[in-house]
Amino acid sequence: MFAAQDDAPEAPEGERPLLRRARTGDPVAFRHLFERHSPAVWRFLKDSFRDEAAADEATQETFVRAHGRLATLRDEDRLASWLLGIARLVFLEARRSRGVHLDVDGEESEGLVEAVLPTPTPEDLLLDRETEALLTQALGHLTEARRSALLLRIDHGLPYEEIAQVMGWSLPKVKNEIHRARLQLRERLAAHVGGRS
Amino acid sequence: MSNVCREQDLDALLAGELSLADAERVRAHAETCAACNHALAWLKLERGWMAQRARRMPARPALNFEALEARLAAANAPARPAPVSGVAASRRPERATPRRRSDWSHRAMMALGAVGAVAFIVFSVTQVRPVHSSEELWSQEVLASGLLQACVDPSGEAVAALEDRFSACLIASPAVPTY
Repeated sequence: MFAAQDDAPEAPEGERPLLRRARTGDPVAFRHLFERHSPAVWRFLKDSFRDEAAADEATQETFVRAHGRLATLRDEDRLASWLLGIARLVFLEARRSRGVHLDVDGEESEGLVEAVLPTPTPEDLLLDRETEALLTQALGHLTEARRSALLLRIDHGLPYEEIAQVMGWSLPKVKNEIHRARLQLRERLAAHVGGRS
Repeated sequence: MSNVCREQDLDALLAGELSLADAERVRAHAETCAACNHALAWLKLERGWMAQRARRMPARPALNFEALEARLAAANAPARPAPVSGVAASRRPERATPRRRSDWSHRAMMALGAVGAVAFIVFSVTQVRPVHSSEELWSQEVLASGLLQACVDPSGEAVAALEDRFSACLIASPAVPTY
């Protein structure tokens, strides 16, 4: 059912030349890559740590490592997932060094009934401050790994195969975890969305 | 949602990952399937929220390239000893010159000789006066105090006196007559 890999959207225009120049040590090219990708990396790390200061530090560390390893990037079309993969390693190392277990048990709401969820209306697309807080709260109730997998898909737009690489999971596990994450997220947000529709 | 309705297909449809034919088929199905329509609405909602969230990115110091440049410069700089000041600096050992290394090797040889001499003395002393365990000392005491008497005069009284002294049956030798 899925299209062949050739049909996948190409990297943004100008990304490959920038990457090649950055690999030769061009600081301007690397700066452009940083400015293009650092917001997404920071957001991913902020969602992982749930701490903005920690995300700041980890974002810088991610790009320091990326700068030193640009030559090891084999697929130039996968720069975004490569950077997010480094970011995830940085996050895991930081978590290990702190000895902090950030996960919330996300298994409490496995028995979901999709039929009770309201169908969102176009008005629900408006992400006001209240909804954003609820969304952040709902994401926080997912386990860290499940949350990361979901956000790599719905926020960063990575294909399932690249999420599998970033997370170090099998493809079926990625699909299963993302599906479960979605159900949990909807269950938590259903009351809010239903109340507005 | 039946088996033909897969959320991943709807997700792939929204992500633009389907071929034209597959996209048309999934879209046509979603229009007639209530469950898929419902799931598609949620998927659009998620994507819409995420897009709006991404646009609300706060200004963060980590997104400043100059800060990264400073870190890269520090990472690429050759390793140098960290600057120290005050008392710590005065205590910091300087790099060893050939002359200093010679002095240190001379002192090390002298120390090694002293350790060897001490070891020799200790070894000699232990050879002259061997250390016995408490058990060996106990048996020597037995021999010195009573056993000789028992051998010289292996009478019942002597043996009984010896056993009474140590509260045990000490004379088990066949040379000692039993009673």
